[in-house]
Amino acid sequence: MSTLRSQSTSDAPSTETPTSTRESVATKRPWNVVVWDDPVTPMSVVVVIFRKIFGYPTEKATHLMLTVHHEGRAIVWSGARERAEGYCVQLHVYGLQATIEQDA
Amino acid sequence: MARSRIFVARRDGRIEVRLNDAGREFVREQFGRLRVAEADPQHAWRGSLDQPIDPSRADAVTSNAELALVTAGEESLSTGEAWAWLTSLQLALRACAVTSGLMTEADVEAASPERLVDVVNLQALLFDLAAALE
Repeated sequence: MSTLRSQSTSDAPSTETPTSTRESVATKRPWNVVVWDDPVTPMSVVVVIFRKIFGYPTEKATHLMLTVHHEGRAIVWSGARERAEGYCVQLHVYGLQATIEQDA
Repeated sequence: MARSRIFVARRDGRIEVRLNDAGREFVREQFGRLRVAEADPQHAWRGSLDQPIDPSRADAVTSNAELALVTAGEESLSTGEAWAWLTSLQLALRACAVTSGLMTEADVEAASPERLVDVVNLQALLFDLAAALE
């Protein structure tokens, strides 16, 4: 976009972030793995699946499961896109509804 | 009276399966339906098995359902086999719920007991198996 790529023509120091830095920041925004609530999966099953896939301790897995249950969704992991996609696939394999989204 | 456990973690690391004949037939039927659904794009369960991101998933699920089916008569399961059961039972539960129109908590609450029979049975199996895998 032109507004991001334009360079200041005045002699005053530019307050704009250089394009390369902005692109770098944009690509470094983490990807979130989101698990969605469903009305039939037993809570304890969600906990053991979170523990199995992510290696979370029971307390963290339980907290995330309750977030899914009460809020309808929870971000269960954040990081590089490739790993997020891999976790998403694993969650699908275990029968949970999951998507990935880039952090806002 | 406390309900007896269906799956019990043994000291040797295996998961004992205490299903009666009817229970064995039920899980065999569920695992079998899953295998058929994976191979048949027109199967009623297929919609809930397809997910948006997953080029490699089909093979993994197929092997889980296949492993679950061939071990459906075993007296005890290895941890890996037990996870294949859990995965397959969970997929069967989701497919069963979707094809029964149980998409929300309200749908479940409004459903007749007859419509929930398979869902409740699968939930009971999953609940016990998850406890054994803890």
